[in-house]
Amino acid sequence: MTVVGPGLTAAAAVCAVAVVAALVVPRARRPLVAGTLTVAAGGLGTVAGIAAMLGQPWSARLPGVLPLSGVVLTVDPLSGVFLAVSGAVAAVAALYGIGYSRHGLDGRAVQAVFPVFVLSLLVVPAAGSIATFLAGWELMALTSLLLVIAEHRRRVEVASAGRWYAVMTHLGFVAILIGLLVLAAPAAGDSFAAVRGAATTLSPPAIGLALVLCLVGFGSKAGMVPLHAWLPRAHPEAPSHVSALMSAAMVNMGIYGIVRVGVDLSGGGPRWFWLAVLAAGCLSAVYGILQAVISTDLKRLLAYSTTENMGLVLVGVGAGGLFASIGRPVLAALALTAALLHVICHAAFKTLLFLAAGSVLHATGTRDLDALGGLRTSMPVTTAAFGLGALAASALPPGTAFVSEWVLLQALIHGLPSPGVAASLVLPVAVAAVALTAGLAVATFVKAFGVGFLARPRSDAAAGAAESPPSMLAAMALAGLACVGMATAPSLVLPVLGGVAGRLAGADSPVGGRLGVELVGVSGALSPALLVAALMVATVLVVAVPRLLITRRARRVARLWDCGGGPLSERMEYTATSFAEPLQRVFDDVLQPSQDIDVTHHRESAYLVASVAYRRRVPDRVERRLYDPVLAAAAAWGEAGRRLATGSVHRYLGYGFYTLCGMLTVLVLLR
Amino acid sequence: MVTVLRLWRKIWRTGRVAEPAPQRPACGRPASAAELGGSVQIRHVDAGSCNGCEIEIGSAFGPVHDAERYGARLVASPRHADALLVTGVVTRNMAEPLRRTVEAVPEPRLVVAVGDCARNRGVFADAYGVVGAVADVVAVDLEVPGCPPRPEAIVAALRTLTGR
Repeated sequence: MTVVGPGLTAAAAVCAVAVVAALVVPRARRPLVAGTLTVAAGGLGTVAGIAAMLGQPWSARLPGVLPLSGVVLTVDPLSGVFLAVSGAVAAVAALYGIGYSRHGLDGRAVQAVFPVFVLSLLVVPAAGSIATFLAGWELMALTSLLLVIAEHRRRVEVASAGRWYAVMTHLGFVAILIGLLVLAAPAAGDSFAAVRGAATTLSPPAIGLALVLCLVGFGSKAGMVPLHAWLPRAHPEAPSHVSALMSAAMVNMGIYGIVRVGVDLSGGGPRWFWLAVLAAGCLSAVYGILQAVISTDLKRLLAYSTTENMGLVLVGVGAGGLFASIGRPVLAALALTAALLHVICHAAFKTLLFLAAGSVLHATGTRDLDALGGLRTSMPVTTAAFGLGALAASALPPGTAFVSEWVLLQALIHGLPSPGVAASLVLPVAVAAVALTAGLAVATFVKAFGVGFLARPRSDAAAGAAESPPSMLAAMALAGLACVGMATAPSLVLPVLGGVAGRLAGADSPVGGRLGVELVGVSGALSPALLVAALMVATVLVVAVPRLLITRRARRVARLWDCGGGPLSERMEYTATSFAEPLQRVFDDVLQPSQDIDVTHHRESAYLVASVAYRRRVPDRVERRLYDPVLAAAAAWGEAGRRLATGSVHRYLGYGFYTLCGMLTVLVLLR
Repeated sequence: MVTVLRLWRKIWRTGRVAEPAPQRPACGRPASAAELGGSVQIRHVDAGSCNGCEIEIGSAFGPVHDAERYGARLVASPRHADALLVTGVVTRNMAEPLRRTVEAVPEPRLVVAVGDCARNRGVFADAYGVVGAVADVVAVDLEVPGCPPRPEAIVAALRTLTGR
């Protein structure tokens, strides 16, 4: 019995009911009703996605829904992976939203738009034609934009973040639109099957143009450097459950687009394209985590970490395409498996981290790590959740990201003896970039967890924090469960993902093994469950044995050593800024921080200092070098163009007349 | 590489500069010092000294008197120490930190008052910021007289503690 079609239909219907409910139910019960319905929709989407992953194909044509082209839905296993991830993240985020929306987010607009956003996240991977895909994509962009600016009345920065997001996402949309149209030009219809069949007749330059445009558009959605500028602005300013949904589900759509177009529709792009994807992935991973490690805003840090993780996924996708283009399908399947596994792992831990960050924001009203701390006693569940998420995000065993990054490194290392100068230059660099990223990720999350949650509170807001309501805690528990599951038993999903990737690359599933992970075709094996067991035994030994030995002796309760002078205050603690300072110094040339010191002297003597002001900023260098000149040029063009518009109607009519004449002349000359 | 060789040559040519070890001090060893087994880790506390005693302590641990060969060693925290070497008269601001430092040393612990100021306020006897001698603030096990005490006297006191 097929469940994909009924599941998706039911999910869409429940989303529609949720929208209606959000509009008619009174404010007091609105988050509960709309949230519960959205949870159900997400759950149905997950079920449909899992069924599709396991190999149930489904396809439907609804000619009346969209004018001219109609809606075509086609679900294959690759769509299933992204459907399942979107559905699961949406369900958890909606559950969290029930409690989180109580303070000011229970208005009709926000509550009604959220289910539409969830629906769009299910439509994009299920789309079977270019028109459906683009409609879903635009719906996703618009609804997420509305949700990003939900709190624009409270904070000024939200409006600016919304503008950045709106402009960049629509420029990306234009790029995708042109790219897909180029790709679909020789096809009879706009369905993916027709495009796939006709893509072989396209000339190599045309395919290259289409792929580059799609990479630009999809890459900007995935937060690929240098098109990431919107991401660290919009994700922190959105309400936290929306941040989770954007960061764990929406950015994946960029990856889905690149895989769908690059590997599937265009029939495997040229080698230089995949090298470019690989290079962009390395750059995103390293640059994203570098910005994350010096960031002092909790949610901005998580947003940059999203850039980093999408970079790692792009490394996997790029390596997969590269191996496929040089005729090594087993390695290609392995790299794509790593990318898909990392998508799922990242969705699990980033949901958890954003929800925990939202819980902190809900309790303290601040995202500034330098003003947090000491939440361990007042918010134990949130602290445990963030700790688990931080462990999952750092690529160390028994973390969730460890398994996927291990598979990725296996694919890259086994692919090192590849032919071609470019490949043999890029692949070792990619290995190094993945390793550096993993190391910096550990530092990032030690900082976020240690400074944000442990030690003493650094502000009154942090000292007066209280634990969040049960629905938020339940959502965090669900996301945490997913993290633990992916860390200990990735073999539950890996063979399925291997099958999906194998189908794409034209090979058998590259992973096997029932308890652990065994690579098929290349040597390599890993048993996450045994690793976790060994680590737990080691921890018990290290903690319990000394305790047993020590309790035999008499113990003395002593004052904490504070150098004898006065109590330790929160001013003496490590801050997020000071913790990252050594790394900032190491990467000084890359980050180029700007700092200035103002010393004010007493009037009596220049030797007596009245006050010292120290300011440090680490501006996004890509943004300063790349975006600022473009924005300045655009502003200058606008200023210049204003001279043409004087307000005289005669002049405007004249412009129209002369343009028409000019066009006609050109046409006559070209005939 | 050349620098290392030059250093080795210097060490080889200079040889030992330490004074020959004098007679082992016979008496006055505090009872708890015996428990330490001949190795005493020492934390130095300046309770309000003029830094004369500090120079002599530095000299006692220098290459000539080399107190470390008798089992005494300076450490960086009272948590690592068996004994405190307190110099100077105890000033108002240092009285409480001194008490806390003594508390922070694990038992069995020893306190050595080094110099006349630490023993009986010395030249600072009537100064306004002075609380008293070290013995007025914490229990003292051993005293080293002198203003400042000679390094030999400090080494002798440390050897009393280590028993070597």
